Amino acid sequence: MNLKIKIKGREYDVELQEDKDKVIVKIDGKEYIFANNGETSQIEKQDNQSEKGAKILAKNNNIKEIKAPLSGTISEIFIKTGNEIKIAQKLLTLSAMKMENEILAESNGKIKEILVTKDQKVKEGEILIILE
Amino acid sequence: MNSNLKIINLEKVNSTSEVAKDLALRGVSDWTIVLGNMQEKGHGRKGEAWFSPLGGLYFSIILPKSNINDLQTLTVLAAFSVAQTLKENFQIEPLIKLPNDILLNQKKVCGILTENIIMGDKTLISILGIGLNTNIDFFPDDLKEIAISLKQVLSKEVDNYKILEQVVASIKKQLEIINQ
Repeated sequence: MNLKIKIKGREYDVELQEDKDKVIVKIDGKEYIFANNGETSQIEKQDNQSEKGAKILAKNNNIKEIKAPLSGTISEIFIKTGNEIKIAQKLLTLSAMKMENEILAESNGKIKEILVTKDQKVKEGEILIILE
Repeated sequence: MNSNLKIINLEKVNSTSEVAKDLALRGVSDWTIVLGNMQEKGHGRKGEAWFSPLGGLYFSIILPKSNINDLQTLTVLAAFSVAQTLKENFQIEPLIKLPNDILLNQKKVCGILTENIIMGDKTLISILGIGLNTNIDFFPDDLKEIAISLKQVLSKEVDNYKILEQVVASIKKQLEIINQ
């Protein structure tokens, strides 16, 4: 995907590429590589800017249960039983407190059971998904 | 335009929130604003479409990491920020339909949506999206009874950038107060 972005009047050419287990972002020729090597993930970059992405692709911590971070209503489910999931993969959307909340996987794994359905109300801490 | 604001101005975009989320995940700094001159897939809660032709003001703000309860408060306060900006600039009386919408003449003039990306108990990304019907001449048949623009109310064009600056300044201030 190619974008032209304007910041403070200056125009930048931005190119986004997905390549297997990494995402490459080129900004005016400078390349930023976001890599995920399985157990741990890290960002390789050419300057010292802080990167939220590094925090998102956090250490694999073998989480077996995905819990509701807050009370709300399940508005979308993006996975099915038996699906292999990767860390930071979008699992479901929870409408809560008048906000839309995307819930991401905390670890790699396989979906053993989905305990909720679309439009179901859930409470904070309730188990939504069990991984094998 | 205020040079302190970091604005990424895109001519046409699916959704400013989508781009803002994407950029936030890639490490773009807090308070960066994605401004779209028009949106092809502007949306509100539960994916409801937001009519976003050229002329309107559509932007999303990458918010600093905040407590989830504070974000809910901020969503409400963002509505107050927009309503206050409209009232002060145009001497009109907007009505806030809590927590996400602002009405003029009982029709929707502005929609606000906060979207969070959560992993475990941590909120990684928060995007505050605002769609404001500013310089829109008319709405399609299915919306004309429920939507309205500032241009229709004021019979003149308004300055989108000026409104953007004032709303963002007000939201920043509100978040500072919440965090105190």
